[in-house]
Amino acid sequence: MSDATALAAENLTKRFGGLTAVGGLNFSLRRGDLLSIIGPNGAGKTTLFNLLTGQHPPSDGRVIHEGRDISALAPEQRARLGLGRTFQISKTLTSMTALENVMIGAFLHRGKLAAAAEHAMHILDRVGLARRASVRAGTLTLSERRRLEIARALALDCSVLLLDEVMAGLNQREVDDVIGLVRQLHAEGLTVLVIEHNLKVVRAFENRVIVMDFGRMIADGTPDKVLSDPQVVEAYLGKKAE
Amino acid sequence: MSKIEATELGGRRTTGKGDRHITSLATELLRIAGLAGLFAIALVVLRDDPFLLNILAYTCLFGGLATSWNIIGGFGGQFSLGHGVFFAAGAYTTANLYFHFGISPWLTLIPAVVVASAVALAVSWPTFRLKGPFFAIATLALNEVAFVLANYFDGLTGGPRGMMLPFRAGFENMVFTSKLPYAIIMIGFLLVTLVTAAIVLRSRLGYYLQAVRLDEDAARSVGIGVLRVKLMGMAVSAGLTGVGGSLFAMYIRYVDPPTLLSIQDVGVRFLLISLIGGVGTLYGPLAGALLIVPLEFQLRATLGSALPGGNLMVLGALLVIFALFMRKGLVGTVSDIWDRYGRRRDE
Ligand SMILES: Nc1ncnc2c1ncn2[C@@H]1O[C@H](COP(=O)(O)OP(=O)(O)OP(=O)(O)O)[C@@H](O)[C@H]1O
Ligand SMILES: [Mg+2]
Repeated sequence: MSDATALAAENLTKRFGGLTAVGGLNFSLRRGDLLSIIGPNGAGKTTLFNLLTGQHPPSDGRVIHEGRDISALAPEQRARLGLGRTFQISKTLTSMTALENVMIGAFLHRGKLAAAAEHAMHILDRVGLARRASVRAGTLTLSERRRLEIARALALDCSVLLLDEVMAGLNQREVDDVIGLVRQLHAEGLTVLVIEHNLKVVRAFENRVIVMDFGRMIADGTPDKVLSDPQVVEAYLGKKAE
Repeated sequence: MSKIEATELGGRRTTGKGDRHITSLATELLRIAGLAGLFAIALVVLRDDPFLLNILAYTCLFGGLATSWNIIGGFGGQFSLGHGVFFAAGAYTTANLYFHFGISPWLTLIPAVVVASAVALAVSWPTFRLKGPFFAIATLALNEVAFVLANYFDGLTGGPRGMMLPFRAGFENMVFTSKLPYAIIMIGFLLVTLVTAAIVLRSRLGYYLQAVRLDEDAARSVGIGVLRVKLMGMAVSAGLTGVGGSLFAMYIRYVDPPTLLSIQDVGVRFLLISLIGGVGTLYGPLAGALLIVPLEFQLRATLGSALPGGNLMVLGALLVIFALFMRKGLVGTVSDIWDRYGRRRDE
């Protein structure tokens, strides 16, 4: 049980018409792993998340969660199994307060309003948003909205957390805050997948990194090893040269 | 569990208790009790004026119907134009049971809820797969289909001739010689819909409906079964709408397809009243009814003969004005102003 895989992809593939957004990806995560996923724009990172969380049905291959094939399950069913996620384009419910946004997640395991509110408040405090509880999500800053989305996923009592570029557009201090938060969640035993563009962030995590390019995995290893890989350097330099 | 310490930040107090930041159901019920008091006063004042009691009865009936519509249409964002069908389902259920079997209309309210909800679930199952305007158009079509069916199945509906319900005055028949009891019944209906809407809004279902309205992908990502939540909201909304239909049938003691299934007088009306009052807010539909229904009576009295359809033109103009300048309706606009100026200290 203790070495059970938390989440795995087997030959996971997604084709949009003629475009292969994710092509035959294989990886496996044990419980408590932290995985960074990097790659140039359009590499297929978000599509991979959408396959893992059920937004898209795979064209081929399987998603395994705790030893069980969940490829046919809808996003809401996977959320109930403990997969929490954020969206690259933030999907906070802007007309609701911060607290209510998190309550939407908290209701999954707490039917009563007061219990959901209490749990949500507790989570808001963990991500440093307690004093913004009654502010509408639409008026929060970008960095606050990112943390709010993390809080909403955490309120599910999820065991796997998928974060899609939660640091993008944040200033250095805010990035450090979120890195601290992710580290803390990882330390508490959560399995975390992080899509990141910022290589500094990836280095900061010091954990396993996979690099995607044109839907394929072109490198897999520690940040030091991966970031000095000539293929990876080329993928990134190629992008910069555009 | 973990008690978060009260902190003083910018003069504002925050504590770990989450429910301090949301309006509780108890507060909402107190407000509704306050409204009940106001309506009681109105009854006392108007008790000898059948003309005004009639307006009050219609205002409360349509306020209650719009409040019912708002549960799925407002909270859940599913702009149904087919609620006339559920309204008619309730009306025909009561009319048949009373007319053919002499069952007390009070008792027929239960089957009316069941029939209206069942019809709603049956027609929503396929239509909820459609989004936005496509859903609205499909429900509009449902209303038209129901109209044709109601004319065709005359055994159940009396067909185009309709059904005249016998005048047998008495409490058990929900038939009265004075307008006062009807006004009381309609106020009761309004209060029931408000309490139900408040309970829904302050529960998991209400939050889930709002999440579905605001962002289906986000809702699904936190485990919300979107179709299931929509169906639950629809069942509650349609059940109440059915009760409104029953009460309406007993009030006018006549049911026929044009009265029950007319698009402009019934189908679109719940939505229109809610839009003007503030769609998705608890008291918006009531505010809309308080403005629209008496205004309609007034317009019909003054314009009716001089300019046929004049009242519809005024309503249309009103809707355009609200669509342009007060997108959130009366209640939404007021609460926005309140947010901006009244609660400055929150920022
Ligand atoms: N729903 C869709 N339909 C068609 N094509 C899509 C869809 N979603 C993504 N794609 C395409 O799949 C490819 C991979 O996109 P994806 O969003 O997964 O990239 P990404 O690695 O997340 O990029 P970025 O760093 O810009 O977020 C892109 O070419 C994109 O245009
Ligand atoms: Mg992406």
